Amino acid sequence: MSNKHVISLELNGDAVEFLCEPRQTLLEVLRDILHLTGTKEGCSNGNCGACTVLFNGRPVVSCLVLAMECEDAKIRTIEGVACDGALDEIQNAFLEGAALQCGICTPGFIVQAQALLDENPNPSEDEIRFYLAGNLCRCTGYDKIVRAVQAAAEQRRAATTAG
Amino acid sequence: MAIADKPQYNVIGTRPIRHDGVDKVTGRAMYGADFRMAGLLHGVIVRSPYAHARIKRIDTAKAAALPGVRAVVTSDDLPQHGARQVDLGEGAVSMRHLAANVLTDDKVLYRGHAVAAVAADNVHIAEEAARLVKVEYEPLPPVLDVRAAMQPDAPILNDDVRTVFAGAPEVNADQPTNIAKHLLFEKGNPQEGFAGADLVFEREFDTTMVHQGYIEPHNATALWNADGKVTVWMSTQGSFTAREQTAELLRLPVSSVKVVPMEIGGGFGGKISVYLPPVAALLSRKSGRPVKVIMSRADVFEATGPTPGSHIRLKLGVTKDGKLNAAEAWVAFEAGAYPGSPVGMACMCVFACYDIPHARVEGFDVCVNKPRTNAYRAPGSTQVAFAIETVVDEICTELGVDPVELRLRNASRKGTQRVDGPTFARIGMEETVEAIKASSHYMSLAPQSRSPDKQCGRGVASGFWFNAGLKSSVTATVNADGTVSLIEGSTDIGGTRTSIAMQLAETLGITAEDVHPTVADTEGIGYTDVTGGSRVTFSTGIAAVRAAEDICSILADRAAALWDVPADQTKYENGGVTGPDGKRISFKELAGKLHLVGGPVTGSGISGEESQSGAFGTHCVDVEVDTETGKVQILRYTIAQDAGTAIHPSYVEGQMQGGVVQGIGWALNEEYWYDEQGMRNATFLDYRMPTCYDVPMIETIIVEVPASNHPYGVRGVGEVPICPPPAAIANAIYQATGVRMRQLPMSPPRLLAELLKS
Amino acid sequence: MKPFEYAAPRTEAEAVGLLAADHVETEVLAGGTDLIGLMKQMVVTPGRLVNVKEIPSMQAISETSDGVVIGAAARLEDMAEHRLLTPFSSIGDAIVGIDSQQWQAQSTLGGELLQRPRCWYFRSGAGLLAANGKRVTEGDGRFHAIFANSGPAKFVNASRLAPALIALGASIRIMSPGKEDAEVQTLPLASLYRTPRDESQRENILSKGQLVTHVLIPHPQSLANATYEVRHGSGPEAPLVAASAALQVQAGLVAKARIVIGQVAPQPWESSEAAESLVGRPIDLVTAEQAGQLAVAAASPLKDNAYKVQLAAVAVKRAILKAAGLPTGGF
Repeated sequence: MSNKHVISLELNGDAVEFLCEPRQTLLEVLRDILHLTGTKEGCSNGNCGACTVLFNGRPVVSCLVLAMECEDAKIRTIEGVACDGALDEIQNAFLEGAALQCGICTPGFIVQAQALLDENPNPSEDEIRFYLAGNLCRCTGYDKIVRAVQAAAEQRRAATTAG
Repeated sequence: MAIADKPQYNVIGTRPIRHDGVDKVTGRAMYGADFRMAGLLHGVIVRSPYAHARIKRIDTAKAAALPGVRAVVTSDDLPQHGARQVDLGEGAVSMRHLAANVLTDDKVLYRGHAVAAVAADNVHIAEEAARLVKVEYEPLPPVLDVRAAMQPDAPILNDDVRTVFAGAPEVNADQPTNIAKHLLFEKGNPQEGFAGADLVFEREFDTTMVHQGYIEPHNATALWNADGKVTVWMSTQGSFTAREQTAELLRLPVSSVKVVPMEIGGGFGGKISVYLPPVAALLSRKSGRPVKVIMSRADVFEATGPTPGSHIRLKLGVTKDGKLNAAEAWVAFEAGAYPGSPVGMACMCVFACYDIPHARVEGFDVCVNKPRTNAYRAPGSTQVAFAIETVVDEICTELGVDPVELRLRNASRKGTQRVDGPTFARIGMEETVEAIKASSHYMSLAPQSRSPDKQCGRGVASGFWFNAGLKSSVTATVNADGTVSLIEGSTDIGGTRTSIAMQLAETLGITAEDVHPTVADTEGIGYTDVTGGSRVTFSTGIAAVRAAEDICSILADRAAALWDVPADQTKYENGGVTGPDGKRISFKELAGKLHLVGGPVTGSGISGEESQSGAFGTHCVDVEVDTETGKVQILRYTIAQDAGTAIHPSYVEGQMQGGVVQGIGWALNEEYWYDEQGMRNATFLDYRMPTCYDVPMIETIIVEVPASNHPYGVRGVGEVPICPPPAAIANAIYQATGVRMRQLPMSPPRLLAELLKS
Repeated sequence: MKPFEYAAPRTEAEAVGLLAADHVETEVLAGGTDLIGLMKQMVVTPGRLVNVKEIPSMQAISETSDGVVIGAAARLEDMAEHRLLTPFSSIGDAIVGIDSQQWQAQSTLGGELLQRPRCWYFRSGAGLLAANGKRVTEGDGRFHAIFANSGPAKFVNASRLAPALIALGASIRIMSPGKEDAEVQTLPLASLYRTPRDESQRENILSKGQLVTHVLIPHPQSLANATYEVRHGSGPEAPLVAASAALQVQAGLVAKARIVIGQVAPQPWESSEAAESLVGRPIDLVTAEQAGQLAVAAASPLKDNAYKVQLAAVAVKRAILKAAGLPTGGF
């Protein structure tokens, strides 16, 4: 077939190799080659944030990243947020706070919120809203999402203090 | 806030974690686009670049010849429908129109109109192939404005459309026209009513087309199997209506089509009509392989079913003491390419919040060269709420009456007759106004302007939506470990697995966690109408309660058999069966013994005859206006809404908050921008939906006036919250700036133009 | 997307060599937030894509005796947080305005400066000039130019950082393919942009193989600076209008000023009238307002975008006030 290349990277902590064409985006590879469909496609143009993943720790919209750019990168997707079968504080807070309705934007929000809390463990409401503004949700009106991130931040801080 | 004495419930009113929650926060939930199977091909639709054109020729040879292309289809592959009319649950529709909206035949009626489709080994090849399909067009003059389309000399979109007159006198009934429907409702004697009014206000309003904006694009995977059966895996609000539409379009018996509903990423009314399944099925038949088609975001904007733009004239007469005496409305809706806008519902909603003795409403469903419109959360009601609620506010200003007081003085209540005839049962309009009146928000001082170029204001508005009843089926099976497997046909867009499971649990006296709900495909459960019309928690809830009652009565019999007592001496109550001599066995214990007394227990329930009595909401908003740029900031927002009984309060609040924020988007920024060739802003970058940085927390007040026709008093909550925001915000802008906005959206350019005039 | 070759060179010279190849259409891949979308739409269809983000010399932000040097592949997010850039709040203002954290993390300086026009006719495949401007004048030009729009180009330059950088006197380092080795030249940033006269021209002066490698900002001589954007709301959207001001204030009076407006013309639009009106005067509401009015005096709006004239005047006024640390009004 056409010019395919082998790409190696670290995906959710595991070494992964795949074959791809230059025109395939990271999103397409995650979903169609690696079958990690938790990362969602909402607009394919970087405007909705549903496909957010962490690229070497930075949140990126994977629909605008070519898979070829990911050689040797560390990628974390929604599938890599829960560790050892236990949910992350953010995931728990989304569940307990009813911060999702249809759920299609949820993986993107959770990954983005993780990037936020890794960078800023104690964000204000304004900082949360600013940091999540690249992610669209059409169901919730954002209220419960913002509250869930606040609750998760609090829980993480409590866990850190206790630990 | 409880209004009436509310019974004590164990499960209802609590906030359990939703059953599908873990799958959805870990990325495991399978949405339509996530479905895959061996041999899958990818389809792409070829779409019209013109708003209006005749198709002279389609040449698919080059596309078909591209390596990796497996099938190409055009409307020639769709069965012919002639003048066939069918009823797919929303009144009679022309099959020719439905079919042509899926793959058009001789004309394209909007930019994005589907003309052909290709399936290939991967999506990139399919996209390249789609560009190789050569379509020769003869461009025709488009008509994009609803009033222009009503003119006798306007370009006609559909030669087969004749005006349907509903209550209105017939004129030119045999002429081709863009006016697909002309409605008229009348109550009392409007002429007399206006004569008896001290003040009469007559205003005009315009709103633009807006989109539901769900984040998940439409998708469908179809397999046309060698046995002639078609299976479709898709996101849909209603698997049964999707099955019916697909079967009708392909002229197959309904039983030859199976629809498997995948998780759905938002719908708001926009995922009821089918666009992709028949096309994917045709591609599958031609290629012999399963075919998946996913819309691009531009396709979603340009070629699905947004909600109509409108032109509305509204006249309201009021007495000096603030009693609304007469009302008249003239409402024209853009149907889009084919008839079927919700203008009828708009006409029924426009005056529904108020008890007005004399009223008259005229409505027009008008074809224009835009996508065929569809339902969007309380379809039709938001446009007319914007009109009536801003005129009511003007009356308050003119008479110097508090907006809450005027609404209380005129609120619809039990016995009020709507303009279209029906009389309200017990409803909660007044209670929602009272709730706002008593809210900390309304009782707080209105925000004060911080500088001359930042003006603040507060606005209030109310809204109404009918809420649908329709049909649902539920079955439930008792498991040996004392839990229940619940099977339903309502696709779950916002937590309804849980709100249905909770009603079943309440009835059985078990916990919500002990119910395991599953949404089945069209062969796994009885007919169930769409997840829409704010109906699922109400109607599927009733079916679940009936399934639970069915189980209760079977279990009472089984306990009688276990105890060897006559069946009429046992009774199911409080989570178990009681019998003579103080005998009692809990549900859990009995479940473990069922294999000894008669085997499996399955209950079933259906609903269908109940109609809902209507939902009302009243909103209060504080805004700040940058008078130099026309930008509006929402400072504070409170919504009070009658939920009847809130089953899962978190998800009731979520519906209220989500509806409000969609309403804020409609009010301030969202609009379709059209030029002669079509929509210009078909991306989320240019179609500006609210982000979380645009809005504050949305304060909610759940009012509970239990509905009499639901066992737990449920009223649907999903739709009415979108109705008041545009008017509430317009009223707040007026308080802030003295400018009355009568156009949506009130975006910076538009508001600035008005501010500069004043 | 159409198929293409991909290369990720490690040196600037290697990149220029790959870009200059004459047998194939080439494009520079930086952050990709603009280019990948255009390639998906098949509006831009290169045969070879050269990713410049892996070139170490283009990633750094450093200081020389002339000023601060920013590699064109530096990420906006890193710029927003960099100590060498703290004196340039007008840059920070513009980056913060790109209210998508993902875009800030992904976008590079060079890509931001060279993003293609947001014109929806261009983006739907009607060409950069949209049929010699006809599509815009006959269609919907609400976001199009209010200055320099009498020729066929009606689009607006999309960069949000260019107005700030031009006002700060920034220059760019361009590497070009040479006979043997690559050649280097330095130009004022403003001269990177041009208003195309026909479809053979782009909105910048770069010819095939040329690569912007660095941006140099001269050391601030106590330069008060700020950017003010007028936007619909927040989130990933383009501003309606933006303005950047850089002011040298001595003893309470403006000694030197530069005012550049974004989103109003095919190039970043510098208003010397506005700037000159400030010289020798203090910054206050009156002088700022006057500068705003002067900045738009020559505007020539199209049928759909007269509102942008007012917004541009307000943006200039508020950018000046903000630079001077005064309350801007609005929000």
